[in-house]
Amino acid sequence: MRIILAGFGTVGQALAQVLHQDADRIVQAYGFRPQLTTIVDSQGSCSDDTGLNIPLALKTKKEYGTVAKYPRQGHRNSDGTHLISNSEAEVVVETTPTNFKDAEPGLSNIKAALANGKHVVTANKGPLALAMPALLELANHRNRLLRFSGTVGGGTPFLDFAAKCMPGERIVRIRGILNGTTNYILTRMENASLTFEKALAEAQKKGYAERDPTNDVEGFDTAAKIVIIANWVLKKQYSLRNLDITGITKVTPQKLKEAKASRAKVKLVGRIEESSVSVAPEQVPTVDPTCVPDTLNALTFSTEHAGDITLIGPGAGGERTASAIVRDLVSIRQEYAA
Amino acid sequence: MKFGGTSLANAARMKNAARIIQRYSPKNKVVVVASAIGNTTDQLTEIAELAKKGDLRRARKLLSKIQLSHRKIARIVAGRGETRELVAKIEQLNSELERTVEGIGHLRELTSRSRDYLLSFGESLSAPILAATLSAIGLRAQALTGAEAGIATDDNFGEAKPLIEISYHQVQQRLDPFLNRKMIPVVTGFIAATVDGSTTTLGRGGSDYTATLLAAALEADEIWIWTDVDGLMTADPRIVKNAAVLPNISFGEALELSYFGAKMMHPRALQPAGQKKIPVRIKNSSRPSKNGTLVSANESHNGGKVVKAVSIIRDVGIVTVSGSGMMGAPGVAAKVFQTLGSNNVNVMMISQGSSEATISCVVANRDVDRAVRALQLALMGQGYVDKITEEKDACIIAVVGSGMKGTPGVAARIFTAVARRKVNIRMVAQGSSEYNVSFVVSLKDGPEAVRAIHEEFNLGR
Repeated sequence: MRIILAGFGTVGQALAQVLHQDADRIVQAYGFRPQLTTIVDSQGSCSDDTGLNIPLALKTKKEYGTVAKYPRQGHRNSDGTHLISNSEAEVVVETTPTNFKDAEPGLSNIKAALANGKHVVTANKGPLALAMPALLELANHRNRLLRFSGTVGGGTPFLDFAAKCMPGERIVRIRGILNGTTNYILTRMENASLTFEKALAEAQKKGYAERDPTNDVEGFDTAAKIVIIANWVLKKQYSLRNLDITGITKVTPQKLKEAKASRAKVKLVGRIEESSVSVAPEQVPTVDPTCVPDTLNALTFSTEHAGDITLIGPGAGGERTASAIVRDLVSIRQEYAA
Repeated sequence: MKFGGTSLANAARMKNAARIIQRYSPKNKVVVVASAIGNTTDQLTEIAELAKKGDLRRARKLLSKIQLSHRKIARIVAGRGETRELVAKIEQLNSELERTVEGIGHLRELTSRSRDYLLSFGESLSAPILAATLSAIGLRAQALTGAEAGIATDDNFGEAKPLIEISYHQVQQRLDPFLNRKMIPVVTGFIAATVDGSTTTLGRGGSDYTATLLAAALEADEIWIWTDVDGLMTADPRIVKNAAVLPNISFGEALELSYFGAKMMHPRALQPAGQKKIPVRIKNSSRPSKNGTLVSANESHNGGKVVKAVSIIRDVGIVTVSGSGMMGAPGVAAKVFQTLGSNNVNVMMISQGSSEATISCVVANRDVDRAVRALQLALMGQGYVDKITEEKDACIIAVVGSGMKGTPGVAARIFTAVARRKVNIRMVAQGSSEYNVSFVVSLKDGPEAVRAIHEEFNLGR
């Protein structure tokens, strides 16, 4: 399996590392060897049809900040769609930075890949948040797979659980906590009586929050995950603009105190109801299973007959997301060869 | 707003269309869909056939006629600033068109793919001309092909199916920037492209379909279809003198009417509008002040009228398969329709008595012989079918109205009214939607039956 890796940040590098380390195990267990034949980052790219030397690519990236300096096969060309359209690789893995304005360059990369008959695994939520129904239709039309396990819950299989473990049951409502960064900030605000700004600064210092925390604290990240779940699990054709989104920047210690008085905690909750989808901070009773601390994620599926089922697990992180991508690559291999 | 071919047929009509757009554009965000000018699409179809036969001389002659008429209109409508640019654009399209025709002519091969490409020139020529007409009166307009506007289809050339979600997404992406800058996109109707960029056509439904797709993508408030009639009529005015324009009908009724041959949008084109509940207004571009017909999700009953309209499809025939051996023999009906289907015969109406001794189908007159031959070959001599009979020159009368649903006695009134005029009814069917009752009479009795029903239900002005 030849793979184009678009985006070589935390997740991309973690994936390269995992593919390098686990190559022999994957061959043995699943009968295929995933090979990175092209890596594109924001400043350049490198290609080798016989498979790139992964440690060398990682070293080059570390030293120069771009794979363009990869010996002999490095280029200044960072045009992902061009590289994807002119490559013979079977799979594109999309890990460029998420942006919820126009979802570029991820959206164009995925479109080019599917239009050229390549399977796609994306860890980038932006394109799905803005155009998931369109991308699924395109994949279906081209008879290719579009996989995105790494976008929701990282290592915790929220998506597969709902789609694969519950056939025949009708899921009527989904709600939960899908963003570790905000959950950590809210937990710290409560436990250590910090203001939002102080808790955010602490999260940034610990590496839980990005330097520009907008996507997390304004609720866009949670909203994107809600869109993906609504499309995939409930087959609803939503995109980000269908949602009402409120972040946690206006949550005050006062509100946390009020919640405490009524035996609840304030959490950033994403909800999918019969006819509405929303993201907003709300009081969650302490006895509710989704009332999880720190960076944990939790999601409750309310079903018609089987009652409420809650999944709790760690959220995203470079290595965890990489593991989800490998899971997707294996499933592509299994369906493709079958 | 979509403008049909007759609404753009010459320079004067083109300017008229521009004035209509001008009237509504300042207060509304308008997207315009342009059909090919006049009967250009028919002419291109003819050119395609001529070129395929290798008759390049006649193909070229017809081609130069098209080129000339477009040049002429372009020179008249464009403002001083735009003339040169527009003429250059048209000449460029003209020479591409020439090369396409020459190519087809030399190869004597017309694939559905090249046919789509050739047919696309009709709209590709009209949209820039209409956009220039708008510029000439001071509006900011931009001509776009259906593909540029974002409509993507599968590669079923000749009757491509839009990839709905991709199209919706791309249309928003491409058209919103124009609308936000207060520009009017003028989009070619009928034509689109596959995801890798080959030109396709939307087939049946054509430019109307383009309009409803764009509207659904942009979540438009209304769709206006400008055409050469005042709207949908209660009956064909050539048959019923006092036929009236229908002020409003529901999507369900419109579907029935369009199946039954009213001059109306194709059901395919109505689908996106129906799904998103966007009202469609059908208006006459020569008399824009008239209200026209509003097709919407509302099932209004027009002051208690259970029947809204009555239409007629001529040139049909009845094919009847009968035999006492058919009673209780499973699979005969399947065999009949399979045979007709594989011989490309479209069945318009079916009736079978519950005695099971006969099955009658209504098909187009031109298909009757083929249908009978195919059925004889497939069914006779096997013991259960005795006879296959045909009856040409019949017509279907369809009575449409959502108010018929759950109103007892409508069928009785229809058939009594028809019987009073001594018209013999040959066959009857009612869809289980109860939106229509249709029956078959002989061709000569058709108009009389239409008038009888029109009168019975007081549909006239």
